[in-house]
Amino acid sequence: MSLLEVNNLHTHFVSHDLNNRLRVAKGLNGVSFEVDKGEIVGIVGETGAGKSLTAMSIMGLLQLPARIVEGSVRFDANELVGLGVEELNKIRGTQLTMIVQSPLSSLDPLSRVGKQLVRAQQEHRSISADDAWRAGADMLATVGIPDAERRMRAWPHELSGGMAQRVLIALALINGPRMLIADEPTTGLDVTVQAQILDLLRTLVADRDMAAMIITHDLGVVAHYCTRMCVMFAGSIVESGPVRQVFNDARHPYTQALISSTPKRIAQKGYGQIGGPPPNLYDLPLGCHYRDRCSRAADICHSTPPVTGVGDKHEAMCHFADESGANPAAAHHG
Amino acid sequence: MTDVSLTGTALSGFSWRGRIFGIARRSPTFAIGFAIVAAFALIAIFADIIAPFGPIETFSREVLIPPGAKFIFGADGNGMDVFSRVLHGARYAFGIAVPSAALMLVIGVPLGLIAGYKGGVLDEIVLRIMDVLRSFPSIVLALAVVAATGQSLVNVVLVIGFLDAPIFARLVRSEVLALRSSGFIESAVAAGNPTWRILFVHLMPNAIRGSTAMIAVRMAWAVRISATLAFIGVGIQAPTPEWGAMIRQGAEFIISGEWWVALFPGAALVGVVLGFNLLGDGLQDLLDPRRKATGK
Amino acid sequence: MAEPILQVRNLVKHFPGNRPGETIHAVNGVSFDLIPGQTLGLVGESGSGKSTIGRCVVRLLRPTSGKIQFGAHDITTIGEGQMRPLRKEIQIVFQDPYSALNPRMRAGNLIGELVKLHSDLGPQARRERVAALAARVHLNADLLTRFPNELSGGQLQRVCIARALATNPKVIVLDEPTSSLDLSVRAGILELLGELQRETGVAMLFISHDLETVQLVSHRILVLYLGFVIEDGPANAVFAKPSHPYSQALLSADLPPDPDVVLDRQILQGEVPGPVNLPPGCAFAPRCPLARDECTGARPPLVGVGENHHAACVRIADGTNDIRAAQIAAAGDIHKKFQDQFVRRTT
Repeated sequence: MSLLEVNNLHTHFVSHDLNNRLRVAKGLNGVSFEVDKGEIVGIVGETGAGKSLTAMSIMGLLQLPARIVEGSVRFDANELVGLGVEELNKIRGTQLTMIVQSPLSSLDPLSRVGKQLVRAQQEHRSISADDAWRAGADMLATVGIPDAERRMRAWPHELSGGMAQRVLIALALINGPRMLIADEPTTGLDVTVQAQILDLLRTLVADRDMAAMIITHDLGVVAHYCTRMCVMFAGSIVESGPVRQVFNDARHPYTQALISSTPKRIAQKGYGQIGGPPPNLYDLPLGCHYRDRCSRAADICHSTPPVTGVGDKHEAMCHFADESGANPAAAHHG
Repeated sequence: MTDVSLTGTALSGFSWRGRIFGIARRSPTFAIGFAIVAAFALIAIFADIIAPFGPIETFSREVLIPPGAKFIFGADGNGMDVFSRVLHGARYAFGIAVPSAALMLVIGVPLGLIAGYKGGVLDEIVLRIMDVLRSFPSIVLALAVVAATGQSLVNVVLVIGFLDAPIFARLVRSEVLALRSSGFIESAVAAGNPTWRILFVHLMPNAIRGSTAMIAVRMAWAVRISATLAFIGVGIQAPTPEWGAMIRQGAEFIISGEWWVALFPGAALVGVVLGFNLLGDGLQDLLDPRRKATGK
Repeated sequence: MAEPILQVRNLVKHFPGNRPGETIHAVNGVSFDLIPGQTLGLVGESGSGKSTIGRCVVRLLRPTSGKIQFGAHDITTIGEGQMRPLRKEIQIVFQDPYSALNPRMRAGNLIGELVKLHSDLGPQARRERVAALAARVHLNADLLTRFPNELSGGQLQRVCIARALATNPKVIVLDEPTSSLDLSVRAGILELLGELQRETGVAMLFISHDLETVQLVSHRILVLYLGFVIEDGPANAVFAKPSHPYSQALLSADLPPDPDVVLDRQILQGEVPGPVNLPPGCAFAPRCPLARDECTGARPPLVGVGENHHAACVRIADGTNDIRAAQIAAAGDIHKKFQDQFVRRTT
């Protein structure tokens, strides 16, 4: 059994518009995946595909009008969907933690770094302030912050972007979690700093025998830092599998289009198919949601495609998944 | 944090009934406020038809009659029907609120736009004039000005309009300050827009959104201050059916037990002011749903 | 090679800092030419001054010193009134299409505005021109009546590009035009830009932190660090043989979207320092793994390292500017020392 098992998760936004009509945006449409310890799973997809929504659903951080209407999230064999805030808080922040995109806005601007680290520990277990302070300083050193003792007394606004992200990682790890969810952990950081942060994450996950899930739109991050990947489109995972296998033998046309639209591939193969606007989540077409943008759409695509196994842990949600695209960029060129 | 696409929302199947219930669900405050204001507006428009008597029609033998079959709200000290006068009073309420609000906007919005966009010395000058205007107790200032310029409806409107213009200038100015560095203003400059187009085509439609709720609130204030002026005796004079003037008339009868002369115009005044205020609060909720969702 | 249409010489832009007396040195003496039909890529991390340069070129900012020559016009310090007629020649596309368009105007009017401001066309002719522009950027005509919040990011950026094209400009500054777009949409925008350039011969200044995109679209590249040009040259030459240690580190930090590429990265320590107090000498020296004493002395000038290819590093003179080679050499030294000791002990 895996550490995190997400099964058939449906998260919808239910609201009334100004004309008093019920409107349902289907944010997640049956998302299933697993993350085991030692793994770093990458979730990729475009804006609105449901990447962050998946993370928020797992963490129980949804705010109305978003809510889980179906499905389960099991962490360490405990069902998280339907848990009350108190029970949920015993798990999140200690065993399951999350770091979000904008590091500076996720730190409390009115508390020094050290105080936030102490507080994060004392919220979850009884520990003396002195011990918590020492543990906090150690953790800052672990995440590669030089002169940790001095940094403990720093205010969040005195930190650079990279430093703030390190502090956030320290906060996420201070209670020794078993799994870390990182939502766009390096977006907005400079490339040279991005490398530092990603290396740090990978080392920490390996050293502490943790599991991690990285949400990103950057295929480069997935290619080099994740062991497995899930490609999301319109609230569904359309393809998942070991990173190398997905990159070299993508079976879903969307994954193929995604890979072939990176500048490197364009330089090699020229421009492939052009992406369109994301589907309207209020009015998703029946059958395959990628149909309207897919170059090989056929009549059969009006029925929901099955999740087809195409290799070791490699699955694609497409009627044509069995036909190897061989070279994803070549398959749709022209 | 909602990672969801809202593009391509079709507006097919529009129905007035649906829209009304939709808005009422989103902001009951707005719905109630709107209903009250709309009711008074209808009264103002059809006062002649609804009212059984003229506003200054005198029944000299029926002075201070308590509410009854002929005079629903009773008759006042001059033998005029309080009910008919209260209905006609609504005309004065709107007749002051609407033009003075228009005046506030006509003066305040351009000042705020220019001060906010140009900044520098101009901004300083505008700001300091506003500060001076705002530092007077407005009621005292209004009193002084109306007393000096003459007690007419037009003067009351002018005074209220000028006094409140700084509020809108400030509101618009702060919106402009936030918008000035935003991408679309930068791209409007890069497109070669002359300054007037940037101010009135690009900035204004985006900067007055925050003022819409304030307009209703200031209309409530305009009704109140005009009633106050009339009550003190410097505003619109009796026998004009202005609520403040009517309350002033009725005040002297309260001790002697003829409560209806003051009570009904007073209630109408409270009703309209409340209506405008609810409308303003509701607009705020409708225009900025997040404010409500996060509990302010 | 064609005559440059726009020349920038020694561009300097300072801003007042947050505290009195402080100066932010955003751009510190940058020179380049824009050539018709060609794209110049500006690469750098945050604080490199690349966006400031773009805004100076379109005169949304007034340079502190230096010179910007557009054709026969010196536009360095001219007022907005003189600049306005020239704006139809020099256009800009911003990074975030969601904020770059007036939310209260429909797409068609947003495009038509440019036509209206810079031509005498009547309403009917204007509508035709807008329709033609929309078709040119592959924007469906029925989207023209929509407001920006009813369009997707890619569609919005097409509106922005149509605006920039509306006046047939000679220069377009593209400030991270694809950074806020999804990957599959990005490719379409880049392809469109390439098409337009081939058709119209417009000169482009392409600003981006995304190295792969810059490599794909640029003819020449300028690598910036803290407002200094530390390397410039033909795109292929710079990517094939980055000469400045910072260019090497920057290029090596790129993560190609291909798991089979073996990374050979030189990870830098620390982050780009703030532009208030510039380091003496070479701006990169405090983070440079190859820095030596003279690097903190005078600012190193750009020296030729290939055809039309320059870099500003003192180590180029003696050929020790390659980080990887230096590391191998250092490793060799240790190995040799170890071997020497070992040999000595055993004999």
